[in-house]
Amino acid sequence: MFLEAKNINKCFGAEQVLDDLSLQLAEHEMLSILGRSGSGKTTLLKILAGLESPDEGEIVLEGQDMRPLPPNRRNIVYLYQEPLLFPHLNVFENVAFGLRLRKTQEGVVRKRVGEMLANLELPEQARKMPHQLSGGQRQRVAFGRALIINPKVLLLDEPFGALDAETRASMQQLLKRMAKAFAITALFVTHGLKEALIMGDRIGLMEQGKLKVYETKKAFINDTGTGVQAEADFWRGIYLES
Amino acid sequence: MNRKEQKSQIGWAAPAIIAVLLFPFVFLLMLSLGRRWAYPALLPGAWTLANWQAVWSMQAGLGESLFLSLALSLSITTVSTFGSFWVSKQVAYHRYRHRWLVLAYLPYVFAPVILAACLQYFFIRTGLSGKLEGVALAQFFITLPYGIIFFTSFWTERLLALEQLIATLGGNSWQAYTKVLLPVAKGPILTCFFQLFLISWFEYGLTALIGVGKVQTLTLKVFQYVNEANIFFAALASCLLVLPPIVLLWLNKRYVFSKVI
Repeated sequence: MFLEAKNINKCFGAEQVLDDLSLQLAEHEMLSILGRSGSGKTTLLKILAGLESPDEGEIVLEGQDMRPLPPNRRNIVYLYQEPLLFPHLNVFENVAFGLRLRKTQEGVVRKRVGEMLANLELPEQARKMPHQLSGGQRQRVAFGRALIINPKVLLLDEPFGALDAETRASMQQLLKRMAKAFAITALFVTHGLKEALIMGDRIGLMEQGKLKVYETKKAFINDTGTGVQAEADFWRGIYLES
Repeated sequence: MNRKEQKSQIGWAAPAIIAVLLFPFVFLLMLSLGRRWAYPALLPGAWTLANWQAVWSMQAGLGESLFLSLALSLSITTVSTFGSFWVSKQVAYHRYRHRWLVLAYLPYVFAPVILAACLQYFFIRTGLSGKLEGVALAQFFITLPYGIIFFTSFWTERLLALEQLIATLGGNSWQAYTKVLLPVAKGPILTCFFQLFLISWFEYGLTALIGVGKVQTLTLKVFQYVNEANIFFAALASCLLVLPPIVLLWLNKRYVFSKVI
């Protein structure tokens, strides 16, 4: 398996945030993790990225134990709900950031950033500063900045949470397209049922620090605990009433 | 009162206020350039550059004091600004942040001169009393905490997230500082630098106590001339004293007046 988390436990004080959590992720797969606020989703992602350390458990990426490696040597990028663009850099330099860290040749930087901006439908925005962009454009730049360094795993922590419904829908499509084009391996955390179904190849449900991963979307939909049935009944009722 | 009358009153008020504020400085400049200015004459009996030429003569020691003060304040300010930038980060993200902040406030709660009196024994024992290094260290004790207090509010959860993002993008701590944190903090750093410079530059009580009169900064010189009733040299030293802060304020005006944290 490409990425494996085995028996992860994490407590903050007396509160058990992750409880013997295990997951497996295949290469080029996107796993949606659905969960309410406070269910431990963010802590799980931070542990995988190396930003938090687990109390117990193992993280293995391509057969290598990740625990001794600091975040900057894992090649796992963690994206927050906010795009967190660097305010002093323009769009081009924000996307080029990871390449600059790696001291990539200028010509290569220009070529790759140009291609990335074209993929993100942002070539005209290259010289703009972050404050001149819309919310959706900022999030696209954040994706470009992460994808340009070819991370082994992309961790997305409710990346569309701050966007309006329309922009969110178009960003979901963009990410699906980019995931296919760049063969991304990703964990996509959300509290939106619909979003989890759209984005994930498989879906996991996280409750009180425990994760249950469904092998198929059908299994997820058929489980009454996921809330899909209740949601479907709600919309069916609305439809019948009208 | 109609709008025209209001406008005309405001039109008179602004230059009047500026004139009142600038008058002491113009008066000091006149004093430094004047000679034989006795009551009730409105202007000095003679104008001369002799006092200003004294700045470069070794006899008065003014030039020496100016360079000593500049070297002392600029070095203290530089070390304190960058030192407090780093220390404040450790404080801001520490679980006992408030306790550390209380410690940082102590030199100001006690007043710097009281702090100096309390520390004087240790400065004498370590042979630092009456030495430039001693004065520098003593001033560092008040400038560093001020910088820490100033920068603590700069370190937010958002900035922490930004730093973590840099790490997952492959950046180390040095790259995080040089490529993002310092450029983002440029405005607050320049503002803090200016404020710390003012603290160090105008520091009197602590410098006098630890320096025991041997470290003659320009501020001490002003007081010395005032005590000697040497009004022309006191005016000249005062002019020199206000010049560097004005230059620094001019250079930093964009940040000092608009981009405070």
